[in-house]
Amino acid sequence: MSKTKQSGLAHYEILFIVPNRFTEEEAKEVIAKVEKNIKDNGGEITYQEYWGKKKLAYIIDHNNYGYYQLLEFDYESTLLEKLDSNLRLSTEILRHQIVRMKKRSSEEIAKAKEKTDKLNAKEEVVEKEEKKEKPDKAKAKEKAKIDLKDLDEKLEGILNAKDLL
Amino acid sequence: MKKSNKECYFCVNDIEVDYKDTRTLKKFVNFYMKILPGQRTGTCSWHQRKLATAIKRARIMALLSHTHK
Repeated sequence: MSKTKQSGLAHYEILFIVPNRFTEEEAKEVIAKVEKNIKDNGGEITYQEYWGKKKLAYIIDHNNYGYYQLLEFDYESTLLEKLDSNLRLSTEILRHQIVRMKKRSSEEIAKAKEKTDKLNAKEEVVEKEEKKEKPDKAKAKEKAKIDLKDLDEKLEGILNAKDLL
Repeated sequence: MKKSNKECYFCVNDIEVDYKDTRTLKKFVNFYMKILPGQRTGTCSWHQRKLATAIKRARIMALLSHTHK
């Protein structure tokens, strides 16, 4: 780990979750605090993206939802450990993750995003077409269910009409 | 296992593995949210390594679940 001990600016990306007990406005204040923390220590934020309220894949500390915020920044690598521990100790942040990455310009980020979005959109279209074929089967199932319901009603009618016992 | 003729998704489409792109990552896990082997998906070994860390990172940030419910 000699690399991390070298001083100098490096490029990082952080994704963190603000828990759902805050309102959206309060969450933005928390995010501003984190940004301020980075800037005060000589960091420079190059890119930011607010994902908004999202459902978590699993419950964390009784939280079902969280506000996601993504930041890319240049930071002094020797100070990073401190930032990491600060965030970990903070009760206002549910979870965070700092990843070291190559520096990218905003154009490159936009290009990469566009590419994946296009791919995903294409696949969505394919999936939709596949789904279109499926409803027929679903309808057939519904019909079968209705038939069963009719049968049940008829049966009940018969049972009620005849005085059993 | 037989070698399949499948091509690596990331090489073919020329995209980088990203832990935030859950839509793509979901293709490489099975119903139980376990990471699928490279032979099964056709991912090349270089991208399979990146993919494994990306999935684990996504799990930490609650973007993907560790198990099915």
